[in-house]
Amino acid sequence: MMNEQSVRLDRMRFTKNTTSSRLAILAIVFDVLYFVSLYKTNVDYYYTLIMGASILYNLVFMLAAFLSSEGVKNYKQGFSYVLCVLGIIQIARIFILPIPAHATTVKIGGAELLAMSDGQFTRVVIYLIASAACLFAAAAVNLVKSRALKAHIASLEGQGA
Amino acid sequence: MAELSLHHIDKIYDNNVQAVYDFNIDIKDGELIVLVGPSGCGKSTTLRMVAGLEDISNGNLLLDGRDITRVPAKDRDMAMVFQNYALYGHMTIYENMAFSLVLRKEDPNVIHKKVLAAAEILGLTSQLNKKPSQLSGGQRQRVAMGRSIVRNPKVFLFDEPLSNLDAKLRGATRREILLLHKRLNATMMYVTHDQTEALTLADRIVCMSMGHVQQIGTPLELYDSPNNTFVAGFIGLPPMNFFDVTFQDGALRGKGFEVQLSDEEKATLANYNRKEITLGVRPEDIAEGGSLAVKVFSNENLGMNTLVHGHMGDNLRITAKLRGWSNYRNGDIVQLGFKRKHFFDKETTNAIRKGDR
Repeated sequence: MMNEQSVRLDRMRFTKNTTSSRLAILAIVFDVLYFVSLYKTNVDYYYTLIMGASILYNLVFMLAAFLSSEGVKNYKQGFSYVLCVLGIIQIARIFILPIPAHATTVKIGGAELLAMSDGQFTRVVIYLIASAACLFAAAAVNLVKSRALKAHIASLEGQGA
Repeated sequence: MAELSLHHIDKIYDNNVQAVYDFNIDIKDGELIVLVGPSGCGKSTTLRMVAGLEDISNGNLLLDGRDITRVPAKDRDMAMVFQNYALYGHMTIYENMAFSLVLRKEDPNVIHKKVLAAAEILGLTSQLNKKPSQLSGGQRQRVAMGRSIVRNPKVFLFDEPLSNLDAKLRGATRREILLLHKRLNATMMYVTHDQTEALTLADRIVCMSMGHVQQIGTPLELYDSPNNTFVAGFIGLPPMNFFDVTFQDGALRGKGFEVQLSDEEKATLANYNRKEITLGVRPEDIAEGGSLAVKVFSNENLGMNTLVHGHMGDNLRITAKLRGWSNYRNGDIVQLGFKRKHFFDKETTNAIRKGDR
């Protein structure tokens, strides 16, 4: 007779890890919000190689995060590490574009203005942190669940189930 | 489980076509009732009315004494298994079986236990992570049954569930349904046009034709004592042979043949002297060595039996199911006799039993 805890574990044999999967998708949504907020400006400051690389990276990020969301849906442990790496990169991105832009001034119509305003800076930083947080959470949840599932299956096999 | 009563049920469509006439039956708790009949006889319509998928035009439907005639399908606590399985292709077997309970927002742990228990009963435990497209027809039908079992309904309804399966699989799945019924001891209504399914599964059979109930009884009652020529012809394979005969001087006289009757048979037909009746003889009630000369035109060996088709009297077709392996050739004359006879009124087509008329 299984207790509630083992029923919960046993359920994972037949159900998907939707929590991790949805968190990974949410991370993509936050990334989209980030680049939509970032690219809407027409200040010349942004038109550099770094901006081009950023655009390309967004494509890579979305693909990697989506594939990882499918991976963690099936309790694949390796994708937790991929999500962690993606999360670290999201944090690192704060230092690549937003912080330098927020510290730089440009001349627009004769007036000296911040390349990235305070409001825009706050928004993009929040989006990147939120995206990273979702990725870390997805990775952590999947890591815990996949390990528990692995142990549960091993115990079932031990019982000859 | 549940007792189900259908009282004077009619189904009349908007275009005034009547599909079911005055259907009456009281189904006992744990009973398996099979509705059988040819296409268009109203059996599926009756089942759909019970399920709540069709409105009941007249009459009452009672479940455990409660009138549920106007109760919506979702509130009737009945589960239906369809011929085409109706499984969700994008879901796994586990998800398909759990789906109705998920919609009801039941506790996931409870759902899990129910699905595993149903899968265990149906031998589907190793298939739970597969998609329906990865299963055979028989397995898919078991999934459809499992989806019903997890709901623990009061009544199970089956609408020709085996029609999509090949003959071998149909036999195996039929036995599974029978075992399932014994294990769950559930009230079940089962619709089929296959008399073999009806005879092997049913506690009682309802034989229908043109929207009318022809007979309700145990399989043996329908086989042994059919109410009329329709039931007699529909139940039994190959079907019963019918001959127009006249009862005269203690014998039956047909076109070019004569059959002597026993004292008991004469007593049964006492009120039909010099009247035309219909004589019915099952092929398996015909044996070699009688007084009727039959000219063979076809001989089919089935292993244990041989089906001999021929003509007797004035070119009257007859089929006999003879024991053992026979090798009659086209044109051979074989002497046959009737071991058991059924008599039917020519006008009403009803069976003639001792003391009738």
